[in-house]
Amino acid sequence: MAESDSILTVKEVHRDFGGVKAVDGATFSAQRAHITGLIGPNGAGKSTLMGIIAGAIKPVSGTVTFEGQDVTGLAPHKIARRGIIRTFQLSAEFSKLTVLENLLVAAPNQKGESLLGAELGKAYWGKAETELVRTARGVLARFAMTPKENELAGNLSGGQKRLLEIMRALMAKPKMLLLDEPFAGVNPTLAREIEQYLLDLRDEGLSMIMVEHELAVVERLCDPVVVMAQGKVISEGSMQDVGSRQEVLDAYLVG
Amino acid sequence: MTDSMQFYISTLVIYLFIDIIGVLGLNLQFGVAGIINFAYIVFVAVGAYTAAVLSLGPDYPGNFQHYAFGASWPFPLPILAGGAVAGALSLLVGVISLRRLRSDYQAMVMLVLSLIATLVATNATGLVNGPAGLATIPQPLYDWLNLDPLTYQWVYAGWCGFLTLVIFLFVRGITNSPLGRSLRAMRDNDRAASAIGKNVTAMRLMIFVVGGVIAGISGAVFVEFIQAWSPGSWLYPETFVFLAAILVGGAANNWGVMLGTLLVPVGFLEATRFLPQIFYNGFIEAMQWVAVGLLILIFLWFRPVGLIPERPGRFRARAETPSAPGE
Repeated sequence: MAESDSILTVKEVHRDFGGVKAVDGATFSAQRAHITGLIGPNGAGKSTLMGIIAGAIKPVSGTVTFEGQDVTGLAPHKIARRGIIRTFQLSAEFSKLTVLENLLVAAPNQKGESLLGAELGKAYWGKAETELVRTARGVLARFAMTPKENELAGNLSGGQKRLLEIMRALMAKPKMLLLDEPFAGVNPTLAREIEQYLLDLRDEGLSMIMVEHELAVVERLCDPVVVMAQGKVISEGSMQDVGSRQEVLDAYLVG
Repeated sequence: MTDSMQFYISTLVIYLFIDIIGVLGLNLQFGVAGIINFAYIVFVAVGAYTAAVLSLGPDYPGNFQHYAFGASWPFPLPILAGGAVAGALSLLVGVISLRRLRSDYQAMVMLVLSLIATLVATNATGLVNGPAGLATIPQPLYDWLNLDPLTYQWVYAGWCGFLTLVIFLFVRGITNSPLGRSLRAMRDNDRAASAIGKNVTAMRLMIFVVGGVIAGISGAVFVEFIQAWSPGSWLYPETFVFLAAILVGGAANNWGVMLGTLLVPVGFLEATRFLPQIFYNGFIEAMQWVAVGLLILIFLWFRPVGLIPERPGRFRARAETPSAPGE
């Protein structure tokens, strides 16, 4: 593992909610083209930390650096435009849009997305839109979701919604995905398929941070693994490494 | 057809067109973008007052009514000004309430704003003549056209029809475009929209102002027709009539909400005028608000998508060009 090639660094990040220290000085880095696993018992601060990286939660102190630039406390849409796209712990599909529309909407810098651009009409934005539809259909085909193209996203199954979120994130031209329990509520067969998709994306150079409770999944996908407990990072390394460390076992048994 | 029948019908046609303009604006905010604007009628009222004072001419001592900012601007400047002032007020209200508050609190702010606006217009008597309101607002180009009153009514109906078409095309330009898609995405899940890079605050403000301008224009065109405007003309339940039109017709569908306008503010409320008076004089009118509330409840319960539901975008399978995206 190329230790020097970190794409994202979290340093001494603190965040409390009314006296509860949700994140209490967390520090770690994520490697380029790796899936960094973020594990730990319930209440360890994993989701809060993901929220801080994504800009949805402001840290009290500490820094988040992405590709050498300080992105601490930027608004969520600005973080997204830098290339960090998150998925949510609970499904967050656009329920009254079709599957295809869910993908199209995520594309950045669309010509017909400003008021003036929209009023200029199809003559102005139609060509770019056609191109976008082609790209989105490519993504649908890759994830075997072509038959669902015109389905309203709200009608998909739980697992398909998870997949939709990943496809939508890819349309936003990400450099890094933040995946918050991407397998929650997904049947084992589809979960295995999603696992393979994520590994393929990693091999194509996409970086990811993944919060996951199922340690077998973490072992298959994640390297390195970052272990959090009570708002702190208590261990970092490969799954075999951290799995044998006493402080990790303690945290899991106590937590 | 008798002249009085023609007067009646042309008046209904004018009401229909003006209500359609208003409902299209609220549908952009509520149906498409998911902003619960219980103060929509305030922006209609502001457009109406603006057009009124800018047509009435400067106030003078001994005038039977008193108001601020009086001027005699030529047609169609008072209407444009009505839209502009309502848009400016939308920007102010939007910056205060839409940026930080959660949507349920936004709705409360809007409802309170609606109540406060009525109190201000009623009690700040020098502004728009207090509870008595403004009257004798001149109809546009009435002397210049020199028509008999009935022909003038039909000309005015034609003018409203033209304006409705312009507003409809403008609104459809938004709803049929990638912008409309992003607004609907924001409505469905604003956190997810910002997580894929959409500036939801800016989008919300923009569409709130656009809707406000449309509201102002509808109010301005309305007041130049009925020639009078007072705090009693725009009480907060009026917003719910517009909302009922949207929910009955089909939120986020331009054709749906136009059908809803035909059915609720024009058809439903007009039909009740013909009911025989029972219990006491004014009972039927009083029951109208109750009926509108019931209509909203019935549709939310049994057919929440409305008569003509929202149509998502469809794209041609082979040619891969967009075809008839959703209204």
